[in-house]
Amino acid sequence: MFKRTDDKITTSQAAIVLTNSMLGAGILTLPRDLVKAVQTPDAWVSVVLGGVVVFMVIMIMVKLSQQFPGKTVFQYSKRIVGNLPGGVLSSLLILYFIVVAGFEIRVLAEVTLFFLLEGTPIWAIVMPFIWVGTYLVYGGINSIARVFQIVFPISIFILIICFILSSRIFDIHHLRPFMSEGLMPVIRGMKSGILIFTGCEVVMTMTAFMEHPQEAVKGMMVGFCIPLVLYLVTVVMVIGGLSINSVITSTWPTIDLVRSLEISGFFFERFEFPLLVIWLMQMFCNFCSFFFNASLGISQVFNLKIHPVMFALMPVIFICTMIPQRINDVFRLGDSIGYMGVLIFMLLPLLLSIVLLIRKKGLKQNV
Amino acid sequence: MFRQRVIHLLIIFMILLTQPGCWSSKEIEDLSVITGLALEKGEPKTLEREFEERGGSYPKHNKLTATVQIVPERTIGSSGKEGEKTKTHFYNISETGDSLFEIFRQFSIRKNRQIIGHHLKVIVISEDLVQKEKIRQLMDFVLRDNDIRPSCLIFLSQGRASDTLMTAEEEIPSFRLVEMVRNNFRTSKVMKGITLSNLDALMYSEQSFVLQNVIEAQGEVKFSGAGIIKGETGHWIGNLDQNDVESIAWIKGDIRGGSLKAYSQSNDSVTYEMKSVKSKITLKETDDKKISFHVAIESTGRLIENWDVDAHSSEVDYFEELEKIFEEKLTQQINALINKMQSTYKVDVAGFGDWLSVERPHVWKQIKDHWDEEFTRIPVTFDLKLKITDFGTTSD
Repeated sequence: MFKRTDDKITTSQAAIVLTNSMLGAGILTLPRDLVKAVQTPDAWVSVVLGGVVVFMVIMIMVKLSQQFPGKTVFQYSKRIVGNLPGGVLSSLLILYFIVVAGFEIRVLAEVTLFFLLEGTPIWAIVMPFIWVGTYLVYGGINSIARVFQIVFPISIFILIICFILSSRIFDIHHLRPFMSEGLMPVIRGMKSGILIFTGCEVVMTMTAFMEHPQEAVKGMMVGFCIPLVLYLVTVVMVIGGLSINSVITSTWPTIDLVRSLEISGFFFERFEFPLLVIWLMQMFCNFCSFFFNASLGISQVFNLKIHPVMFALMPVIFICTMIPQRINDVFRLGDSIGYMGVLIFMLLPLLLSIVLLIRKKGLKQNV
Repeated sequence: MFRQRVIHLLIIFMILLTQPGCWSSKEIEDLSVITGLALEKGEPKTLEREFEERGGSYPKHNKLTATVQIVPERTIGSSGKEGEKTKTHFYNISETGDSLFEIFRQFSIRKNRQIIGHHLKVIVISEDLVQKEKIRQLMDFVLRDNDIRPSCLIFLSQGRASDTLMTAEEEIPSFRLVEMVRNNFRTSKVMKGITLSNLDALMYSEQSFVLQNVIEAQGEVKFSGAGIIKGETGHWIGNLDQNDVESIAWIKGDIRGGSLKAYSQSNDSVTYEMKSVKSKITLKETDDKKISFHVAIESTGRLIENWDVDAHSSEVDYFEELEKIFEEKLTQQINALINKMQSTYKVDVAGFGDWLSVERPHVWKQIKDHWDEEFTRIPVTFDLKLKITDFGTTSD
């Protein structure tokens, strides 16, 4: 049987893996979170500002990872800060990945249950996704990247189509007045603006898998700019189409935008169904990315074979998915994931880079 | 090899089980698709009263009567009545209660087929109901429901709302209402359709707004002006007539077509057809912090009808004379609206508040909580310029 020995991905694949790790369920609720925090139509400025901050974070991650070619954060953290602290930091990251994977599946299930498959039990949606996800993740990073390459253009195409169609109800007045209350509301929205980019942590593992790690900066930049632009377009279109008053009261504003128009005589009259169905694939990719990174982390930190780890993770993710009881719990979990993401960033790339700098430059140690 | 084959067979079997995708599927024949919903003050209809007399009741207050329009009516067997009646393609069914969702589920103990709201196109609410209950309360269920789409249109009705979902002709009344909104480009007496998502934003902003008013007579319906919903209370407070609705469109500069009729000096009808309308609102602030609005409206159009057959209806001098008459007529019409808004109802529904919130957000922030009251004290002046640019295919 043919077996790949070099499980590497190209630069463009790395970019798409990063994009798909960020673009997930967030896009469905993102306008509401932002508008709730900002309270003015300037919410999109927060996305730009948040994007700038996250961009710098990603650059730090890439630079850090490039110091240890072929090594993931789970491996090099041990070398920088020592075995035990490195293990603890890695475990935090692993925990984070597992929770995000579970959350992603849960949101996917919530949306599907509410809009598409009313009456289907939740486990019947969650379980096949975890199974199929395991099958994909089992194939390694290369198979994952290939699936992402196939799914990505399709899902983006449908999303763009939906936005083009919703330009019928777009009203530029809904985006005005611009900066009426100065920068303060935009700063308040920065938190949400940063939280939407959770998932960028995969940079610290992706770089290790790249065929040409020296091109990591370029690849990750592209991979980051795609979700940034899409988020920006989403926020602008949703606010422009629905106005902030309607976005605040809407549970799933992006879906509501598409639900607010009917195009009679077109191929589809209603676009929320194609959007949801296709976006399920996107959320699936998102989930697989976190699933893979979690199992990779466990296998590298605890020196286990990766395949049994994946199977062992299946029930763990399932439990994570089923823990939130109410939809409020789901959204609250989403918020805490954001905070966890910030904490992880503070602890991992920042701490590691500082320690590395001190040891290399200050103590002239060979790490 | 054998083990592998067993695993393969198992997988194939599992895939077969999941692939048909029949889980919780519903056959369309077993569903009642509702296309219209009418809400009015709770008055049980005769059929309902009869049910109740026989004990078919449950604990409730008769706050509202909901009528849903189901299409198409099942066409099996004809009631053996004499004479061919015009076939109706729809079926209206009413229930009274105090929770819309409960009422919807009550239909299930009266009918075999479940009703689904995916194709709900219009909601008509009678004014006397909105006078008693807040519009936000009435709309709560339809905003929450996952079937009902935010693209559904909302109307008010002067009489019983369920009557507007009746017709004497072979058509589906709820579709008729939706299609009538498209006539907005023929006359601006037809307002732009307010969808559920528009309404959601309007209700959240707590500013007053208008909804198109529908009246019914002998199975026919007509758009007749608009009903005003007061923002602070969410109750209906009064009606504007057709001309007022048109005046709102003039002030907003949002006219895609329509006519303006006046009487010439010889008291003959002359009619102007709008080709384009532009309006510009400006705010004037005096030294003692008093503000006033000034609206400049410019329009070009055509002299489309002139009963004054003796006049030289293609000469510029005559046009200028007519322009004056039209401007005067329009000024009267718009002033009538301003008067109604500022004195009679004390609300702003012509978009002055929206304009202020966009152009002068700082001023707006201070007064938005009592904007309607503030608006009644702000003078509004107009400057109208109508220009007749052509006279159609006949001169003289």
